[in-house]
This record gives sequence, C-alpha cells and structure tokens, in this order.
Amino acid sequence: MKKFLITVVLALMPSVFFAQSAFDKYDGLDEVTAVIVNKKMFEMMGSVKSNDKEAQQYMSLVKKLDNLRVFVTSSPKITSDMKLTSSKYLKSAALEELMRVNDGGKNIRIYVKSGGSATKVKELLMFIEGGGKDETVLMSLKGDFDLNDVSALTDNLPGGDALKKGLKGSKGPKGSKGPK
Amino acid sequence: MLASCNSEPTLQQYFVENTESKDFIALDLTTDILKLNKAKVTSEENAALETLKKMNILAFKADEKNPAKFETERSKIKGILKNEKYQELIKVNSGKEGGAVYFVGKDDAIDEFVLFANKNDAGFAVVRVLGDNMTPTSIMTMLSVLKKADLDIEQLKPLQKMVPN
Repeated sequence: MKKFLITVVLALMPSVFFAQSAFDKYDGLDEVTAVIVNKKMFEMMGSVKSNDKEAQQYMSLVKKLDNLRVFVTSSPKITSDMKLTSSKYLKSAALEELMRVNDGGKNIRIYVKSGGSATKVKELLMFIEGGGKDETVLMSLKGDFDLNDVSALTDNLPGGDALKKGLKGSKGPKGSKGPK
Repeated sequence: MLASCNSEPTLQQYFVENTESKDFIALDLTTDILKLNKAKVTSEENAALETLKKMNILAFKADEKNPAKFETERSKIKGILKNEKYQELIKVNSGKEGGAVYFVGKDDAIDEFVLFANKNDAGFAVVRVLGDNMTPTSIMTMLSVLKKADLDIEQLKPLQKMVPN
C-alpha cells in the first residue's frame, strides 16, 4: 500500500509541479516580455453577450481556453534556457510534435497534447527560436479546444502566421468543425 | 481567523494612507466625467453605466530622489494584490515595465477592477474601478459608451504631471 502511494505521488508530481511553474520562471525577468492570460479572463470574455456572429464564434472558442502564456526574449542565454526547459517539459507532459518549419532562419516548432479526436487539443506549445536579431517566442495555450478554431485567434499572436500555416497542414478537414 | 482577516492590508487602506503623500498623485473620478448626452444613451447603456460607481487613481511619480521609496511602495502594492481576493485576469511584464488587471467579486457580479501599471523610471499607478454587480457584458457596453463620450478633461488634469512634456 505504501509503495502504491509513493508511486502515485511520484507519478502525479510532474503534472502538479509543471502545471504552474514550468515556464513561470521567465515571468519578471528583465530580458523577457511575458503575457499571461488566466482562465477567469477567458471565462469573462466568453460570457459577454454579443449579436455579432463572428464575435460569437470567437467567444465560443475563448470559453474553452484555460490559460495563455507568451514569453518573448531576444537574449541568447534565455533562449537556450527556454529550449532546454521546453524540451524537458515536452517529455514530462507527453506532448507530440505537430509540425516543424524552418522559415528564413527561424526555427518554428509546434507541439500538441491531443484530446478526444484528431483535431481536439488539450494543450498547444509553440516555440520559435530566433537566431541573430530575431526574437525567441515561447507560447503555451491550455484548454480543451479544436485546432481549427485556434486559427481565429492566431492573427493577434506572435508567430500567428506560422501557426496558421501549420494548422492548415494538420489533420482534420479545413474549414469544417471536426468530423461529420 | 478574524484577526488575520483584519490585519491584511487592503488597497482601500493603502489609498487612504497615501493620498496625502507628496510622492503620490491621487484622483477620484465619478461617472460625471462622461459628459454624456442623456438623449443619446440607450436604456441598455444606461443600465450598464448605473453599475459603475467611481474610479480611484493613485499614482506614484518616480524621480531621482525617491528610488528607494518607489521600490518599497511598489512591493507593498504587489503584496496587497497577492491576496486571493484579487483575481488576476491578465498580466504583461517586460522586466522594466509591466501591467496587470485584477478583479474582485464573482464573474457575473464584479465589485471592483484593479489596474496596476508600473515602469521603472516613471513610477506606478493603481486604478480602482468600483461598481456594483458589474457583469462582463455591462463592461463591454461601458467601453462602447466610452468611445462615443466626451471626456471631461478637467478631471484628469492632475495626471498630466505624470507625463513628461
């Protein structure tokens, strides 16, 4: 019994530990710009009543999101630290690579943790490694959402273009909402 | 339990304590700042505005003489905002400058919004938007009213001191 408990605790530890703090260490650093949007914000945005059809679609996606974190830096030191932290995180949180693009010296990688169906996603992690004067972007989006819906959001985010390209190339019919 | 509740510093106390201080600029705004043409406001918009009571602004102006005080005061505010009562919505931080938005109350009955912004060489500002059962929808409505309202600039005069000419 004791052994069992220890195993359970050990098994849960990474998820508990990383749930909050895998990337939080980058928040507040001088060379990092951090943007954090919490679930409450998404819930609130999602509960705004609107008659606009486009806005409604946007709201329904927003309701499914838990949190968004974006960290941007141009420091090479922090970039390599981010690389290390994210690769550790990918293993511990069991994220799969969705795509990898090399666009004009920028190395873009997108990872997802899939939910129920092919396009359902629980977590999306994007890492853009900027060489030279380009900035490095680390973005983590959590929730329970459809990959097809995300493209509505991406226009406003750094690396949105790349993400859009990646999502179009991903499984699942473009434009329609999942199977059927 | 009771004692621990009472010993927690609140923003309200902080505002009261520092309003008179020379390092701070304090400003209370009422909804009168929106010089609204009553005839143009729809009943829906009016209902949304009714939920809003007032806005209190407290700003600390940093200069060469007060860097130590700036640090202490800023960390005091940060400490107060760590209280669970203040639920964080959004945070933006670049090390040198940052801002965050918090709210107090329930999702559909918001009592207060707190905006906190700070910049290393300029100072910081805390804005409290106080209301009565504000809802996300009423806030969106208010924002749209703001867009078409004429702001009463006179009420904002004290803030100009914050902005270098």
